[in-house]
Amino acid sequence: MVKSLYGIDEEINAIWVFLEQDGSALAGVSLELLARGGELAAQLGWRLVGFLPCRRAAGWVEEAFAHGADEVLLAEDPLLEHFTVEAYTQVAYEALWEHKPSIFLLGATPNGRDLAGRLAVRLRTGLNADCTALRVNPAGVLVSEVSGFGGGVLALIEMAHHRPQMATVRPGVFPPGEPDFNRQGTVVRLPVNLTVESVHTRIVERVVGQGVDLTQSPVLVVGGRGVGDNFKMLYELAELLGGEVGATRPPVDEGYIERARQIGQTGVICRPDLAIVCGVSGAFHFTVGIQEAGTVIAINTDPEAPIFAAADYGIVGDVHEVVPALIRELQVTD
Amino acid sequence: MKPNDEPILLDDALWDELITLTGGEAAACYQCGVCTAICPWGLVKEETFSVRTLIRRAQLGLPGGADVLWLCTTCGECEAYCPRGVDIPNVFRALRGVAWQRREAPEGLPSLLWSNYWNDNPWGQPPSQRMQWAQDLELPLFDPAEHEILYYVGSTAAYDKRAQQIARALVKVFRAAGIAFGVLGVHEPPDGAEILDVGHRRYFAEVAEQSAEVFRTHGVTRLVTTSPHSYDVFKQEYGRFYAALQPLHYTQYLAELLSAGRLHFAKPLARKITFHDPCYLARHNDETVAPRQVLAATLDTELLEMENSGAETLCCGGGGGRMWLETAAGERFSDLRLDEALETGAEVLATACPFCLACLEDSVKARGIEQLQVLDIAEIVALTVAS
Amino acid sequence: MSNLHTVVCVKIVPKPEEVSVAPETLRLDRAGARSEINPPDMNAMELALSLKERHGGRVSIISMGPPFFTPLLRVALAMGADHVYLLSDRAFGGADTLATTYTLAKGIEKLGAVDLIICGEESSDGATGQVPPGLAEWLEWAQLTMVNSLDVDVEQRQARGRREIPGGHEILEVPLPAVVSVQTASNEPRFMDYKIKPWAFAEGRVTVWNQADLAAEAEYIGTPGSPTIVSGLDEAASRERKRIILEGSVSEQVEQLVAVMEQAG
Repeated sequence: MVKSLYGIDEEINAIWVFLEQDGSALAGVSLELLARGGELAAQLGWRLVGFLPCRRAAGWVEEAFAHGADEVLLAEDPLLEHFTVEAYTQVAYEALWEHKPSIFLLGATPNGRDLAGRLAVRLRTGLNADCTALRVNPAGVLVSEVSGFGGGVLALIEMAHHRPQMATVRPGVFPPGEPDFNRQGTVVRLPVNLTVESVHTRIVERVVGQGVDLTQSPVLVVGGRGVGDNFKMLYELAELLGGEVGATRPPVDEGYIERARQIGQTGVICRPDLAIVCGVSGAFHFTVGIQEAGTVIAINTDPEAPIFAAADYGIVGDVHEVVPALIRELQVTD
Repeated sequence: MKPNDEPILLDDALWDELITLTGGEAAACYQCGVCTAICPWGLVKEETFSVRTLIRRAQLGLPGGADVLWLCTTCGECEAYCPRGVDIPNVFRALRGVAWQRREAPEGLPSLLWSNYWNDNPWGQPPSQRMQWAQDLELPLFDPAEHEILYYVGSTAAYDKRAQQIARALVKVFRAAGIAFGVLGVHEPPDGAEILDVGHRRYFAEVAEQSAEVFRTHGVTRLVTTSPHSYDVFKQEYGRFYAALQPLHYTQYLAELLSAGRLHFAKPLARKITFHDPCYLARHNDETVAPRQVLAATLDTELLEMENSGAETLCCGGGGGRMWLETAAGERFSDLRLDEALETGAEVLATACPFCLACLEDSVKARGIEQLQVLDIAEIVALTVAS
Repeated sequence: MSNLHTVVCVKIVPKPEEVSVAPETLRLDRAGARSEINPPDMNAMELALSLKERHGGRVSIISMGPPFFTPLLRVALAMGADHVYLLSDRAFGGADTLATTYTLAKGIEKLGAVDLIICGEESSDGATGQVPPGLAEWLEWAQLTMVNSLDVDVEQRQARGRREIPGGHEILEVPLPAVVSVQTASNEPRFMDYKIKPWAFAEGRVTVWNQADLAAEAEYIGTPGSPTIVSGLDEAASRERKRIILEGSVSEQVEQLVAVMEQAG
């Protein structure tokens, strides 16, 4: 049987969380993992440790403490400013090998997945990917829930002998918890031995705020004929939800929105986690464009509209009333 | 357009290919241009769609003309008027076939073929859910010893929520008439009609051969289809794979039941109805009588006729693979068709094809027309039939 | 023309909606399910074949699984790939990502001169997306994940890819050899070429390698090479749409909606 670089006889009772940052803020999923990791650590009587590679920690260490970390391992280096898989894997590998935690949790973001995939192989350990729930048994074994087959099957995954027990967790499954900025913790600075030559990935260009790719958006707000020309409110809703705006054919025909945002058989076929479909009757050539969506919510005045058969939740009502009310509610909740 | 003095390079291999694919069909054309004049695209586009030029290219073995090649809805109006009897839709399919080989098919169409390959339907729907539309209907699996006909539902009526209403209506009508019928359920094979329409003849032949084999192993002979496209392709193309197949469009079958006295109506409809002939009934298969007989039997008023009716019908815009391609606003034939329907003063625009239904209904909704309802003949019959 | 050698990792998966969990044994029942090429891998193939069109060279397909995968893999040959390598051995069974990436890496090593490996974003069955980085780690190659377009500079031995990031995009460059993964639906896979399909399905080259051929170490493959175990299995709530109508006043409806949206993420 394949052996991990360190095993249960050497493990240290700690849960580590990868604190991912983009230069301006910690990723939401990192805070969510601190919240859930803290609960699990409390059950076991273990320590919760944040692992933070960056160029320079702004207020992130304090934020990690506020969200439940007992300790933050800080790796600061100019080569850690942006995520590159070589540099981050190297730093994480050295830290894990030195401190041998029992559990290491990462967000299932593009970077988190890249890092976890390489680390698991380097450490010869197991990786529970894209988990939707986490628990621990009293022996300190991490049990992760994952879904497969288009979400149709749930599986519980664990590893008995390999350490660290690694898991990437889907963003948004755990609430981030309330920060307590009176909490204190310890900071441990990690030595960083990176050279420019060890980093192979070169960022040629990075542009924010251009173009639209509906296929990759986790949330879609879709407008149909019932929206009229009032797409402004849909953009407002989409922004609150971190999503994009799409449309059916009629508003595109009317010129209320650009053709690149048309969804359906002759437009873009999308697979968001959440689709909010407003004022759309539900013609087949449109619904094939959202059939892969996780959850579909439909708002339409006509209770007989076929869209309600293609939706998980429906509101029979006027989008011009319901959407503004929803926006207000979300603003309050935020 | 190339200036006339530019030399045209002919590709011999391509010429052979085109001649083979068209069976020399284009050779008879003497370039009179009636096809270009009659093409319905002339009604919606400022620049005429020169069918004649494309035929000329086919004669010369020249590919290209890709910009207009995929517009053709294979409605067959040009063919009907062609003094030389050229099977123009087939020439178009051949030109499209060459475009496939040159990887010039428009975006969206490769996905149509892949969907059929992996899912046995062109709509990207799970094959295991082919019978979901009839979950509560308890339809029996076809048994040649027990059943008069196989009801061939077809992919669009099986998966499109709106078109499912046609299938459900037909089941109601068959039951009211006491027809012993069965279905093939999740084993119902695709007809491949849209694969042929978009010109992939070799893949179509593969699909047709496999589907014909399914009919043969299930002992199917008489088969009644929801869609005129299924009926057409079974009738025109499946004979060489399975000669015993006897396809009927459901309007033909209902007309037959009427004359046999097996179909009875409880209450004739007092609504003003006009009928939109699907191209694949009226033109490709000369069937304009059966749907009218069925409609007439359900009405206590005269059927209203539009300006272009019967063999002169105006295409809805959904044939020739156009259901998988975007048609710009202002260029949809179905919009013109609505004007004709409204002029008759009809309250109901009847049709007998899932594609026509989708296109016409889309136009009704887009234009916010409230005084006109689009229904399939099957739905009208189901409203009036005595159970 | 260059000698660019691209390898596409292809997985054969059961159609997701046809897989169920047997209620008594709580084991996965995929007996009746139809198989297909993992849809994201079709995007990987399209990218590889378009690179071959641009730069020449050849495209190989590598897959791991039982011999009955062969006819499905021939689809890739009919699309324009040159050679299929199927890693097939009972000892490979039960592999998680660690064992899978090890086995694939052994296959790549045996192939010799490979410049580029292209993978789909993730598989529709396991959905872990961990094969590309794992493979890159075993091979100690660079990696470029989740791109929606890619080009290579054969002379400079570099790959340049573009990927979407929240609210924008970035362009990244890595040296060859490299492992690349492609965003699902970022291109439209070409249909099979019917001029080569008869060859692909009759004579097209399919090489099957077993454990001995790969000189794969027993402790790194199949179940022994897999740290993770599945300790429980359950069918998720129905995949059909719920069709629940939210009742009440607008404010009550909106309140329910927010709760629903929080669940949906």
